[in-house]
Amino acid sequence: MIALGLWILATLDAAFAGYRAAAGRNALIRKRRYYLRAMILGAIFGQVAVAMAAGIILITLTLTPDRLGLLRDYNLAGARMLLVYVLYAVIILFAFIIRSIRSVDIRSITSTLVFGPFTLIRPAVAIAGLVYGILVAPRLEVIVVAVTILMMMLGLERALSFYRRLSSSSTN
Amino acid sequence: MRIPKQSPEISDRIVDFDGATLERRPVLKSEVLREFQALNNRFAVRVVEKLPVDQDGVLDPQAMDRLLVTVHCEMQRMSEEFQHGQRMAELLNPLLNAIRDANSPRRLTVVDIGCGSGFVLRWLAAHRAVPDDVDLIGADYNPALIAEARRLAAAEDLACQFKVANAFRLEETAAIYISTGILHHFRGPRLTQLFAQHVRPGTRAFLHFDFHQSPLAPFGSWLFHAARMRQPLARHDGVLSAIRAYTAHELLSAARTGAPTFTSAVYGTKLWQLPIPRAFHSLVGVLPEYHEAFVANLGSKALSLGVIR
Repeated sequence: MIALGLWILATLDAAFAGYRAAAGRNALIRKRRYYLRAMILGAIFGQVAVAMAAGIILITLTLTPDRLGLLRDYNLAGARMLLVYVLYAVIILFAFIIRSIRSVDIRSITSTLVFGPFTLIRPAVAIAGLVYGILVAPRLEVIVVAVTILMMMLGLERALSFYRRLSSSSTN
Repeated sequence: MRIPKQSPEISDRIVDFDGATLERRPVLKSEVLREFQALNNRFAVRVVEKLPVDQDGVLDPQAMDRLLVTVHCEMQRMSEEFQHGQRMAELLNPLLNAIRDANSPRRLTVVDIGCGSGFVLRWLAAHRAVPDDVDLIGADYNPALIAEARRLAAAEDLACQFKVANAFRLEETAAIYISTGILHHFRGPRLTQLFAQHVRPGTRAFLHFDFHQSPLAPFGSWLFHAARMRQPLARHDGVLSAIRAYTAHELLSAARTGAPTFTSAVYGTKLWQLPIPRAFHSLVGVLPEYHEAFVANLGSKALSLGVIR
């Protein structure tokens, strides 16, 4: 369940990274499809990152003499990470629900109070979740996996932006 | 990011057009740098230092155009998130209906001053947010931005026009002048002069959206632009816009001095009548014979309209 929860959140986060990497690059008015494609691309990139993290976890589980202990530590750390990230996700989700109200003022408030600040603090939240997770099981394997995940989380939007620049320069 | 209030926006300095002939004038990088250095605007200096020049030290016009088109594309994000199209429609339609209630020509023209890449007009056209017999015309001095507005409108088959022109010298008579985010670019007496140009035969109203000055505005603007803008120029100008924004009182004073034949008011300074400042407010001016109908058409939204006179 913990792995599933983290995978869902990682996929959602990657999809939104895809949205952010695409935003501000297309000035058309009707661009729902453009954003949808961007989010799917983000989610696909996210799966690559998840697969890499899963690969490292599998390798460490194969190499360790204490497989059960390591699995337990991964679960403990994962549960704590999930707690932080679910809290963040719930706030964002709540803002989306509020934003569905057809009022320019209410929608603007969600931008001002939630989407703006929470986009800025996302790296801090990512670090906080991982540190909170590591603290419950401070062993080398957990730290390695956590740092790898953090680098991928923080680098995903950059990678997507790079991919966009690359694909737009090759089409021009 | 420390930006002095008296500093101009970078986008106002890296291109220059003759207001009368609309001809492009060369811009010397050294002069732009000198101005920002004198104002101790280090952020702007860093941005301008990186801009390309030709052998005479003139900022490369094509590079500046590309940069401005990119920046406008990024800044459209703000218009989308803050629903500028919808905001405009919510006030424009009561105005249009008020004008129609009296004797007026069947076709009405709405002119967007300094339309840039034309987001608001394109949004109105894409959502059919104004009646079909309203002509939407955007005017801007910058040919690159107008070319981009035309390209985007054509790509979505939108019923709006964009012209490289002074909005007040168009062949068409504007029944209503509108704008988004340009008022704070007009400093000192130029703001009053801007409103004075609204006083002309056939023009019945104006509707100008801009940032609303409040103690929180610069921080809020920084937060927004830091999270979303990629171009340093967009970040600088976005934050400076909030710093330089006029108060409702300043806007009203300039409008009433420059265009005394209009009754004017500021719409939406406070949020839901609470002491919470809005990010944007709008200056509305309407000829006295239409103002009663306009207020009636606003319905419950009239509560957000300041004192109209």
